Amino acid sequence: MDQTNYSFMFYGFAAAWIIVVGYLVLLGLRERKLKQQLEQVKALIATDSPSRSRIS
Amino acid sequence: MRDKIFYGLSAATALLLIRNLYMIFMVLPDELNQGAAYRIFYFHVPSAMLGMSGIGIALIFSVLYLITKDFRWDSIAAGITEVSMVFCTMFLVTGSLWGRIAWGVWWAWDPRLTSALVLWLIGSGYLMLRRAIDEPTTRARLSAVLSIFGSVNSYIVWKSIEWYRTQHPQPVLSIRNGGGMAPGMEATMYWNLLALVMLGVLLVMIHMRQETMSRDVEALRRYAHAL
Amino acid sequence: MKEFARQVWAITGKDLRSEMRTKEAINASLAFAVVILLLFSFAFDQSSDEMKTMAGGLLWMVFAFAGTLVLNRSFVREVPNDCLDAILASPISGAALFLGKAIGNFVLLMIIEMACLPIFSVFYDVRLTAQPGWLAAVMLLATWALVVIGTMFSALTVNMRLRELMLPTLVYPMMIPALTAAIQLTTVLISGEPIGENMIWFRLLAAFDIIFTALAVTFVDTVLQG
Repeated sequence: MDQTNYSFMFYGFAAAWIIVVGYLVLLGLRERKLKQQLEQVKALIATDSPSRSRIS
Repeated sequence: MRDKIFYGLSAATALLLIRNLYMIFMVLPDELNQGAAYRIFYFHVPSAMLGMSGIGIALIFSVLYLITKDFRWDSIAAGITEVSMVFCTMFLVTGSLWGRIAWGVWWAWDPRLTSALVLWLIGSGYLMLRRAIDEPTTRARLSAVLSIFGSVNSYIVWKSIEWYRTQHPQPVLSIRNGGGMAPGMEATMYWNLLALVMLGVLLVMIHMRQETMSRDVEALRRYAHAL
Repeated sequence: MKEFARQVWAITGKDLRSEMRTKEAINASLAFAVVILLLFSFAFDQSSDEMKTMAGGLLWMVFAFAGTLVLNRSFVREVPNDCLDAILASPISGAALFLGKAIGNFVLLMIIEMACLPIFSVFYDVRLTAQPGWLAAVMLLATWALVVIGTMFSALTVNMRLRELMLPTLVYPMMIPALTAAIQLTTVLISGEPIGENMIWFRLLAAFDIIFTALAVTFVDTVLQG
């Protein structure tokens, strides 16, 4: 009983932290993708109209 | 300025979490009936409070968006709903683990867990809806309405499931005895609630910055198309 | 006020007439209901006493699944030929449009339910006539609850890609309180017990109807504009 009790305490905390860390990783991945997209669009605008590229 | 707040809050959250973990594992004794596993409650109960109240708070921001049409409120509402889903998941998983040790089953259709599951489904419906609409104003408008419907419904679900389950015989023994906590344990619970609130605020801030960024990308794309 | 009622009636009449000409939705939904009733017979032991306690649940599962077939289409069928735009451009308020459609759907759903009840009663040996007045009240209140949620979400998702995939995940969790109440009440009524303390579920159903009708009428303009 005591042994399972301890292991379930461990599982509980592990699960809680895995969920938080997993969400953080998800946010990080999303951020990276957004930055890439932002760079792409900026590059696109810069090549299309060099004269107006300072608008962003 | 915003960066300073963000990093300051991150540091404070990390410190508080470490302090709480130290209290939970090193200082506080095992509970008499439940042994060591009761410590799950220090995350289980605060995550429930946050997950449930998050949906209600998102409702306020959704209404604010519909009144002002300011995208800031929309991204706050979306961020809060998404972070509430994270806490709701934490509540469901830790609750299931605790149920296994206390009741012997992974899922006992306990009223609180059941209403949290319904809430989780409504919240994921909201997030799915946001992903399915590309146009920012339509997305903000429709998801605000859905958020209002969803939070009102979650409240009714909460009440109705409590009635439903209490009319049936409980399938298993609950050793939950309300208000019987030792003062030191209760204080730690509130400290951890504070820590998780701070964590939640941080996550919402990150999410908001991303929403702004994705709107920038959209705007630049439209601009590029116009050229 | 009289003008408003006339507008609502115009929408209801239009919807019902066009449905009665083709009978597409009503036929499909009835056939689907019978299929579910049949499938349930394989899932449960039909002759046991347990069946009595499950009957209410089964019945409302059938109504919810078959009903949403009708409800999901209520706004989508205005999309071809830009009918929806024409209706929105006409001098009818969103509230009148919503109520008109909801009443039309309500009538269709009641027809489907009335057709299902005798089949259900025969298939599963359930006596529905124990307390017919109360049962009718439950059916009216709970059907209106399903209709309000279904019609509103049909409006919400009308212009969305992946609509067919999104709708069930959005609609069924929203219906849970109404379905819980209806199941609870129907089970009690079928078994012939007095309502007694289950009266609380009637109040829940009535409150659900009032709250969501009010919310839907308030927000339908926001949903349909633009």
